[in-house]
Amino acid sequence: MSRLPGDPEPGEAMRRMIRVDQAGEYGARRIYAGQLAVLRGTPAEAKIRHMADQENRHLDMFEKLMVERRVRPTLLGPLWHVAGFALGAATALMGEKAAMACTEAVEEVIDEHYGRQSAVLDGDTALKSAVDESRADEIQHRDTARASGAHEAPGYEVLTTVVKRASKLAIWLSERV
Amino acid sequence: MTDMDDLDAIRARLLPAVLPHVPFEGWTARAVTHAAVDAGVSDDELLRACPNGAADLVAFWVAQADRDMIGTLATRDLKKLKMRERIALAVRLRLEPLAAHREAVRRALALQALPAQAARTPRQLYQTVDAIWHAVGDGSTDWSFYSKRLLLAGVYSSTLLYWLNDSSEGAAATWAFLDRRIADVMRLGKVGPGLKRLTDRLPDPFDLLRRARR
Repeated sequence: MSRLPGDPEPGEAMRRMIRVDQAGEYGARRIYAGQLAVLRGTPAEAKIRHMADQENRHLDMFEKLMVERRVRPTLLGPLWHVAGFALGAATALMGEKAAMACTEAVEEVIDEHYGRQSAVLDGDTALKSAVDESRADEIQHRDTARASGAHEAPGYEVLTTVVKRASKLAIWLSERV
Repeated sequence: MTDMDDLDAIRARLLPAVLPHVPFEGWTARAVTHAAVDAGVSDDELLRACPNGAADLVAFWVAQADRDMIGTLATRDLKKLKMRERIALAVRLRLEPLAAHREAVRRALALQALPAQAARTPRQLYQTVDAIWHAVGDGSTDWSFYSKRLLLAGVYSSTLLYWLNDSSEGAAATWAFLDRRIADVMRLGKVGPGLKRLTDRLPDPFDLLRRARR
């Protein structure tokens, strides 16, 4: 996909990617923190903790790039701090399966998002490898969530639609603000 | 980018030529015209490099002073210094090289205060404080990225105004003023951890919910 008139210039496009990816990984960390706050001590804990550890590693990668390239973080950080935790905690309170349905929905959107980025990142190997590495883990998380019975969650269709819409809105906002 | 470097090269020739004229003419078209004649910059080069006239040269000057400050800081050993000392040093290194052109700085502020520059001036201030935080090795990626820049913008601009009217030897009074402003900001920083200690004492609501679910 080549750049069209009205698209951000290449430097700004790169900065937007790092900004949104850092915000996304931060949000993911907060979602898992919210889930863990509720599901601590249950059998699901180990699974969630493993995913949360991987998100922390992704976050470190993007934050390193962010500082190196002097990209400003999103202004909405405090919002994702609260909203991510609330989403994680709320779905976890609906039960372990609803938490997994939430994870599945988020990771599905993130997978698409990273896929789109990876397709246009050719010259930028450092960023591309960070994106590809994160994407591989996110796909794994999605599959773990499916295997853990995400589809059996109460109100699965409604829940995933809402979570996906919210994730897409969060991506759109974090790129820009 | 070569195009931009090319334009910056013209601006780099114009800037030293315009500075002696500014105390008399201000940052005006007349000063820039004089500078172009002095520096041997042709009319079309001038139009290309400075379509907005003197304001473009001011912007270039600000950016160059930021770059110089980063360059000088890179030669210093910052590891031994505390963060507040690093910031004080950075502000000092930013202003000290301009001591010979204090009047031109004053005139530049007058230009930057005009409504036509309303969009540009805050951006230049942001670039300066951003350069300082980056140069002292700050790597924050959360909201403190913004609070740090906001606080330093206040410290930096008040110090700049103080420095303009400071007649003390080696601007010693300005650096004392700067230390006091930084001390003010540090006091503000102590409120945050205090709040956190307070919330830590409250019961964890999720712990209660978890117990209720069993």
